Amino acid sequence: MLFAISGTDIFQSLVIGVVNGAVYALIALGLVLVYRSSGIFNFAQAEFGTIAVYGTWFAFANWSLPYPLAAVFGIVCGVVASLLTERFVIRPLSQGPKVTLLVATAGTALLAIGVAFWRTGDNALKFLDPLTPANGVSVLGVQVSGQRLLTLLLLIVAVIGLTLFFRSPYGLAVLAASQDADASALVGLNVTRISMMVWGISGLLGATAGILLQGGNSFTPGAITGLALIPGFTAAVIGGLTSLPGAVTGGMIIGMLESFGRLSTFDFIPGASSVSVFVVLLVVLLIKPEGLLGGRTA
Amino acid sequence: MSAPEPIQSDEHTTVLETRDVSIRFGGVQALRDVNLRVDQWEICGIIGPNGAGKTTLFNCITGFYEPTSGRVRFRGQDVTDLEVHQRADLGMGRTFQNVGLVKGSTVGENLKSAQHLEVRYGAFAGMFGSPKTFEVEQHTTERARAILDLIDLGHLWDTRVQGLPYGIQKRLEIAAVLATDPDLLLLDEPGSGLGPEEADALGDFLLQIREDFRLTIVMIDHHVPLVTRVSDYMYCLNFGETLCEGQPNDVRNHPEVVKAYLGEDPDAKPGSAEFAAQGV
Amino acid sequence: MTATIPDDTTGPDQSPDDALGATEPPLVVSPAGWAFRVAAMAFLAWLVLLYPSNVLSPFSVPASDANRMSEAVVFAIIGLSLNVLIGYAGQVSLGHQAFVGIGAFTSAYVVTDMTQEVVLGVIVAAIIGGIQALLLGLVSLRLSGLYFALVTLVYGVMAQQSIFAIEAFTGGTAGNDAPRPTGFESDYRYYYFCLIGLLAVLFVDWRLIKTKAGRALLALRENPRVAQTWGINTKSYTLVAFVTAGLFAGLAGGLLAHRDLRVVANPFDFNLALIFVLMTTVGGLRNRLGVVLGSMFFAFLRNGYLIEKLPGAEPVLDFIDLSPEFAPLVIGPVLLLLTLTLLPGGFGQLAKPFTQWLGGGRFRWVPADKEVMITDVRA
Repeated sequence: MLFAISGTDIFQSLVIGVVNGAVYALIALGLVLVYRSSGIFNFAQAEFGTIAVYGTWFAFANWSLPYPLAAVFGIVCGVVASLLTERFVIRPLSQGPKVTLLVATAGTALLAIGVAFWRTGDNALKFLDPLTPANGVSVLGVQVSGQRLLTLLLLIVAVIGLTLFFRSPYGLAVLAASQDADASALVGLNVTRISMMVWGISGLLGATAGILLQGGNSFTPGAITGLALIPGFTAAVIGGLTSLPGAVTGGMIIGMLESFGRLSTFDFIPGASSVSVFVVLLVVLLIKPEGLLGGRTA
Repeated sequence: MSAPEPIQSDEHTTVLETRDVSIRFGGVQALRDVNLRVDQWEICGIIGPNGAGKTTLFNCITGFYEPTSGRVRFRGQDVTDLEVHQRADLGMGRTFQNVGLVKGSTVGENLKSAQHLEVRYGAFAGMFGSPKTFEVEQHTTERARAILDLIDLGHLWDTRVQGLPYGIQKRLEIAAVLATDPDLLLLDEPGSGLGPEEADALGDFLLQIREDFRLTIVMIDHHVPLVTRVSDYMYCLNFGETLCEGQPNDVRNHPEVVKAYLGEDPDAKPGSAEFAAQGV
Repeated sequence: MTATIPDDTTGPDQSPDDALGATEPPLVVSPAGWAFRVAAMAFLAWLVLLYPSNVLSPFSVPASDANRMSEAVVFAIIGLSLNVLIGYAGQVSLGHQAFVGIGAFTSAYVVTDMTQEVVLGVIVAAIIGGIQALLLGLVSLRLSGLYFALVTLVYGVMAQQSIFAIEAFTGGTAGNDAPRPTGFESDYRYYYFCLIGLLAVLFVDWRLIKTKAGRALLALRENPRVAQTWGINTKSYTLVAFVTAGLFAGLAGGLLAHRDLRVVANPFDFNLALIFVLMTTVGGLRNRLGVVLGSMFFAFLRNGYLIEKLPGAEPVLDFIDLSPEFAPLVIGPVLLLLTLTLLPGGFGQLAKPFTQWLGGGRFRWVPADKEVMITDVRA
C-alpha cells in the first residue's frame, strides 16, 4: 500500500485537527463578525491575540497576579487594542475604499508587532504557562489537555452566544447598520456604538483564542498572526465569510487538513499542509464561490 | 458609427423591447410584467412617481440587474444574459441619476476613457508602446476635444470633474456617453436640478443630438413638461407596473396618471409641489 | 445648438473654492530661475547616475553601499508593481513576496541550471510572474471585492513552505547560485543593470496610464458601473492589472537574485509582503515618483541601514530605547497609518512642490485631491 497510515495516526490527527481547528474557528468568528458588520477584512484580528498573550504574561510575571486574573488582564488588553483600532484606524477611514482599510488593518498588526519588539528588545522570546496542568483526559488514545478542552468549550459558547446575539435587538442593529449606515443613523441607531460593540466582541474572541493557543508555549511578537491568521482567514472564506457555523466548519476543515498534511506519509510533498490548505481554498472558490455555508446574510 | 446601418426600408424598426420584465428584491416586487417598445430614432419618455421602478427598469435594460423573469431585446437580439459591457458594445449608452463620470479624473480623461470601445488595440500593445498606439491615442484625443467643443466646454479639458458645477457635470456626462458612440441612449433624469429655462434648453439639446448622432433615446424624468415636449411616445410607471402608455399628451392627462401623482398638477412648474419635493 | 446652462448652477458637488476661472496667470521664470532649475536637475542626474559608482564624485561610495542602492532600485520596481494593483486596480496582493521569490529562483534556475544568459533569465522570471498572477486572478476574479488579497495571502504562505522547498527548483535550504551578467559583475556596475530594469518598468507604467488599459483601470476602480456602461470589461482589465503587476514583480525577483549572487528562500516571508504594501502606500498611490521614493526609503530602512547613516538618528532612537534593528518595524507602520489618515498622497505629495518647481512652476504646497469612491447602486 502506498499510504501507510496507522489507526493511531488517524486518531491523533483527528484530535489535533479538532483542537487546532477550534482556535482557527475562534479567529474566524471574529473575522466573520467584523466582515459581516462592515465588510472589512481585519488583518489585525490575530494580533489582538498576541497582545492578550503579552498582557497575560506581563501581569503574571511582573505583577505576580494569580493566573486567572492575569488572563483576564490579558484579554482586557486585547479588547482595548481592538477598540483603539476601531477608534483611530477604522473610524477615520470608514468612508474610504475597502482596500485602504485592509492595508490599514495590516499596518495595525505590524505596528503591534513592532511595538512589542521595541518594548521587549532582544529577549522578545517569552514563555506563557499553560492554563491547566498538562495531563488532561485521553480521547481516542490521545492525551488532550484541559486547556484544549476549554478551547472547544469556549468555541461552543462563542457560537451559541453570537447566534443569540444576532437575534437580539443589538445584533439586528448591527445587521441593519451593515446594510445602510446612513439610513440606520437616521432611524436612530447609534452607528458608532454599534461599530465599537462589534470590534469589542471581535477583540474578545481574538484575545481568548490567543491565550488558549499560546498557553504552555514560547512566543514572540507576531506569534498568533503567524500561527493562526492565515488559517483563520482561510477558514472564514471557506465557510462563506458571513456564516457563523461556516466559520466553525471552515476552522475544523483547516485544522484537519493541517494535521493530516503533517503525517510522515506525505513527506514527499514539501509543505503538504499548506499546499492542501491552498488547494482546498481554490477548489471551494471555484466550485462554490460563496463558501460552503455562505449565501445571503440573515 | 460602429453599429451597422439600420435597414432603410422599414422606418419603424424596433430598437429596444422588454417583454414581461419582472424583478423581485426579497419580498419587494420592484417591476411586474413591464413591456416596453422603442422604435428607431424615437424619443421615448418614462414618467412615474418616486419609487415607481423607473431606474430599476433601466438597470434591467442595461444589465446591472438580472430580471427575475422576462426578456430584453436590443436591435433584434436577446441581450438578457449579456453583461453590461457587452450591451455597451452593441450600442447601448446610459447616464446615471447622480452623474456617471469618473470624478477623480479630468474632463479630458473622462472623454477619452468613454471612447474605450472605439480604441482598437490590445491592452498590452498600449503598455509596451507599440507605435500604432501612439497614432490611435492622438486620434482619441482629437475626437475627445471635438466632442468637448461641441458642448462648448473646451476650456475645461484639464479640469478635474469633482468640484465642477452640477449642471456642467450633467452636460459632460451626456458628452461622455455620446463619445461611446451609442445607437440607443438611456437618460436617467437628465433634467434633475435644472431650472425652467435650462430644462427648455436641454429639450432642444436632446432633439438636436438625436438628429446629429442618429440616436434612439429613452429618458426618465420627473420634469413632466420636458418629457412631454420631447417624447414621441410615453410610458407611466407606478408601483413597478405600467400604468398607461401612448401619445405624450394623452398619458400626461390620463386620469390614472394624475391620480398617481397624488393630485399633483402634471404641468408642474418651478415652485410647485413637485419641484419643492426635489429640493430644487 | 447646445444646451446653455449657466456656470452658477448649484449642485451637490460644488464647493466655493473650486469655482471656475479662478486660475492665476502662469509664472514667468527668469533666466536665473531656469539656471537654478537646470542645476538642480543636473545634481539629481548626477546623484542617480554617477554618484553610486564614484564617477565625477568627491565621495567614495563603498561597494556594499552600491549594492544597497541596487536593492533600493529593485524595491522601486516592486513598489511600481504593487502600485498597478493597489493604485490603479484597487486590489491588493499580500503574497507579493512569493511573486518576487519565485522570480528570483526562476532566473537563478535559468542561468545556473540551464546555463542561459542573465537577461533571458530575468525575462523568463517576469513572464512566470505574469502567469502566476493570471492563474490566481482567474480564480479570485469570480468573486467581487478583496478575494484576490486572500488568495494571494494563502498562495504566498504555500509558496514559502512548498514551492521554495522543491530542491530541484530552488536547491532546497542551501539555495541556488545566481551569477551576474557579463559586463555587470561588480556591485557598481550591477547597479546600472537594475537601473535599466527600473527604466523599462517606468516606461511600461507610463504607457499603461497613457493608453486604453490605464484609463479603463482608473475608471473601474473609482466607478465600476460607469466603466461598464462605457464598455469596459471590468474583470478582464483587473486581470490585466494583475498580470502587469506579476510581470514587474517577477522581473524584480530576477534582478534581486543576481544582486545577491545566491538565492535562498528565507527572506521571502509574509513580513516582506507587508513591507511591500507599506512602502507603496506610504510612497503615494498613483504617484510614480512617490512610489519610487517610498520603496527606496523602506529598502534603506531595512536592518537599520538608513539609521546608521543618518546623522542624529541614533541618539533619538537611543533616547526612546529603540534599537536600529527594530526601528523599521515601528517606523514603517506608524508612517503607514499617518499616511492613510492624514496624508493620502504620501511621499509623492511631499515631493510635489519640488517637481512643480523643477517644471517651471512655483514652489508651493499642492493639497491632495480628495479620493472619490462610488459605491452607491444608483451611481
